[in-house]
Amino acid sequence: MRTKQEYLIRYKDGNLYCELADIWIDPSKPVKKALITHAHFDHFTFGCEEYISTKETAILLKERVGDNIKIKTFEYGEEFKINGINISFHPSGHILGSSQIRFIFAEEKWLISGDFKLQNDETCKQYEIVKTDYLISECTFGLPIFKWDESNKIANDISKWITNSPEKTSLLFCYSLGKAQRLLNEISQTNFKGNIYSHSSIHKMNNSYKKLGIDIQDTIKIENKKKIDELKGSLILLPPSLSKGSYLKNFKNIQTAFASGWMSIRALRKRSGYDKGFAISDHADWDGILKVVKISEAKNVFFHHGDSEALRKYLVEKKSINVLLFGK
Amino acid sequence: MSLKKFSELFGDLDSINSTNNKIEVLKRYFLSNEPIDNSWAIYLLTGKSNKRFISGRYLKNLFSQIYEYPQWLIDTCYLKVGDSAEVITLLLKNKTISRDKKLSNISLNELLSETIPALSKLNEEEKNLEIKNLWETLPEDNHLIFNKILTGTFRVGVSIGLITKSISKLINVDEGIISHRLMGNFEPSINSYKFLVNKNINLQELNSKPFPFLLANTIEDKIFKDSINDFQFEWKYDGIRMQLIKRSGNVSLWTRGQELVNESFPELVEKMSQITDDFVLDGELLVWNFKEQIAFDFSLLQKRINRKSPTKSIQIKYPIIFIAYDLLEINGRDIREIKLENRRIELEKYFSKWQIKTENNISDIFKICDLIFPKNWPDALTFKEKSRENNTEGLIIKKKTSIYSSGRKKGIWWKYKVDPMQLDAVLIYAKGGSGRRAGLYTDYSFALWKDKELIKFASAYSGLTNIEIKELDKWIRKNTIEKFGPVRSLKPEMVFEISFEKIQISKRHKSGIAVRFPRITKWRKDKKINDADSLENAYELMKKIS
Repeated sequence: MRTKQEYLIRYKDGNLYCELADIWIDPSKPVKKALITHAHFDHFTFGCEEYISTKETAILLKERVGDNIKIKTFEYGEEFKINGINISFHPSGHILGSSQIRFIFAEEKWLISGDFKLQNDETCKQYEIVKTDYLISECTFGLPIFKWDESNKIANDISKWITNSPEKTSLLFCYSLGKAQRLLNEISQTNFKGNIYSHSSIHKMNNSYKKLGIDIQDTIKIENKKKIDELKGSLILLPPSLSKGSYLKNFKNIQTAFASGWMSIRALRKRSGYDKGFAISDHADWDGILKVVKISEAKNVFFHHGDSEALRKYLVEKKSINVLLFGK
Repeated sequence: MSLKKFSELFGDLDSINSTNNKIEVLKRYFLSNEPIDNSWAIYLLTGKSNKRFISGRYLKNLFSQIYEYPQWLIDTCYLKVGDSAEVITLLLKNKTISRDKKLSNISLNELLSETIPALSKLNEEEKNLEIKNLWETLPEDNHLIFNKILTGTFRVGVSIGLITKSISKLINVDEGIISHRLMGNFEPSINSYKFLVNKNINLQELNSKPFPFLLANTIEDKIFKDSINDFQFEWKYDGIRMQLIKRSGNVSLWTRGQELVNESFPELVEKMSQITDDFVLDGELLVWNFKEQIAFDFSLLQKRINRKSPTKSIQIKYPIIFIAYDLLEINGRDIREIKLENRRIELEKYFSKWQIKTENNISDIFKICDLIFPKNWPDALTFKEKSRENNTEGLIIKKKTSIYSSGRKKGIWWKYKVDPMQLDAVLIYAKGGSGRRAGLYTDYSFALWKDKELIKFASAYSGLTNIEIKELDKWIRKNTIEKFGPVRSLKPEMVFEISFEKIQISKRHKSGIAVRFPRITKWRKDKKINDADSLENAYELMKKIS
């Protein structure tokens, strides 16, 4: 067995790093060269000399942070070489442009799952099965209590939630990029036919999705001075950051909900302070992670993001999979 | 109502925060369902049934056995979820999907009056098989309710008061009446529901209603300028505030929370029924130390509150007393509008009459409150400081001219509470919370110095804000020394101000002391662990008080 230093990809200063290529994956601090799996802000930091990502991720990033970054793009599946290592992006099904990243060096394959989900999502490319020797997987929801319902079921629940209270304005909080567009796509296929408003941060992302050829239902950009009566019975999408504080005072007679995988647990739902929680996630659930571990045919697995203790123990005990620990 | 409908009701109630909306939802359900199922729903929602058919542990073991899940994995999940019934529900998801859901329309009545009671007649093997079968044939949406009823943990954010309000609105009858009807052994049946929603009120029902309670305000400095002779002084007891009503021969005990508690205190009802006069008394119910003539701790009273029809031995073990503060009505005459000092004269007059006239001595369960007579305000302060000695919380100060109006009326009654005792202690252990606090470290243990060692002296759960809890939770995860199951020992670094009500010697604790009602009153981020108090400080505090 090799020492931690000898792995092709390892943990360095809390980030994934490939020394041979001198390249970082989703680094949290400025570096020379950074591979970016997707355009969420917890996977991106300012100040890197060069970014490399898929075309879609690059466009979304520029929409969010401006044109002032140097970013090189590749198509899904297109291989490029850095210091003799073959690198390629593959769809991870998390949000538009999101990717898994595969490294091949000296016939050894490494796969970084990025954030991923297996569930169907019409707003991004479906997760692609990629075989590997080493798998580095996310583990946000690494307990068997997390099992997602089909997203159309959740969308129907949301539709019912709105239409059951026609006198109210329904505020649905969700992440601006990815979750909001997925919800819009699903909700447009339900019985709810009322107006949908979205906060400017969400509205901007909707437009980016449309520019990238994704069919997203039109929404009205929310203005603070909207008349209360006009909003009655309609749905408003807002980013979670606005759920606390004075922003809500712009509305009267509201009901609130949060769309997140964590909402499957009653205690978390109650504690969140929202009236209702819809358990829909862009991450893999327990079965999803197990399935990817299996179909990737990885002999060695690492986990990062989230509490992986239970998952690790389960794989070692029940599935005899070699689960390794990163040296911090 | 099918179990399915009831599951939906539970889901709705669980996700509505506004009381008015909850009432609307309840009204709608009562209107659209059968009386028998409504009566079961009320039975469950009011917590009348918390019979445990099967323990949470048993259910988890059974699940582990059937679906070949390692026990430790279920336990890990439990730490996140905080409720056995819910853990099993989440784990069951998608496991039983292929089976025929032939029980999709089972009624609440059938489930509760037949299916579940039948389980207890089976031997272990049959019982396990039957539970498995029920899991597989009940629709997934109903698993949570089913598991919760099985484990006797069905609870939802609905108080008996809310049910009372809903029924009251549904049939347009006063809440007090409904409250009265809901009291006691509410047995689910068509008749019990019909009785509950009967629009005709009989006279006896009307007679049992209490007056709105008059409450005391926190002390204001300005009263110290007034003459001490303008006020009546009483001890502030830590019991259950109550109105004791006897009208047309019937006694009813009403708490401030509009709950009728006759059944918890039958000996009081029986004794008071012997009095020939009718009356309404305002007072406090306590578990009483007759030898020393002081109240026992509130914790003993708790052993009586939730117990309906207590046995004789319970009644002897936890002897109660009703201490009357005030007389509000006598033989049908409402005297709330006369001055307190005159009401007190009436109270004393009638009390001595009743003492002589009743066949059995009533003073072993009923007395009127003693008054205190401080000479001046500093003297009143001295009385207040002494209140710990007789297990009271301080003083109640009432204007002698006050009439008995309602609510927290300003400028007539005050409470003058004794300050809590406090020590600064070091956080050394944390344990995961359950229920709403699952997945967070919310149960804390604190230590005091003994030479160079930190000795645990108290555990506390309350006092931090939600934001502080989250912040501390993060810190705990980063500063764990060791894990023992759900408990983590922590790097001694954080100092908290712990307040408590009472301190006494205890041989059971390593520290040698026990405190009552410990709670966190401040996160002393300004203090280092060396600034925390020592056990010696605690002993001194104890000496000072006794």
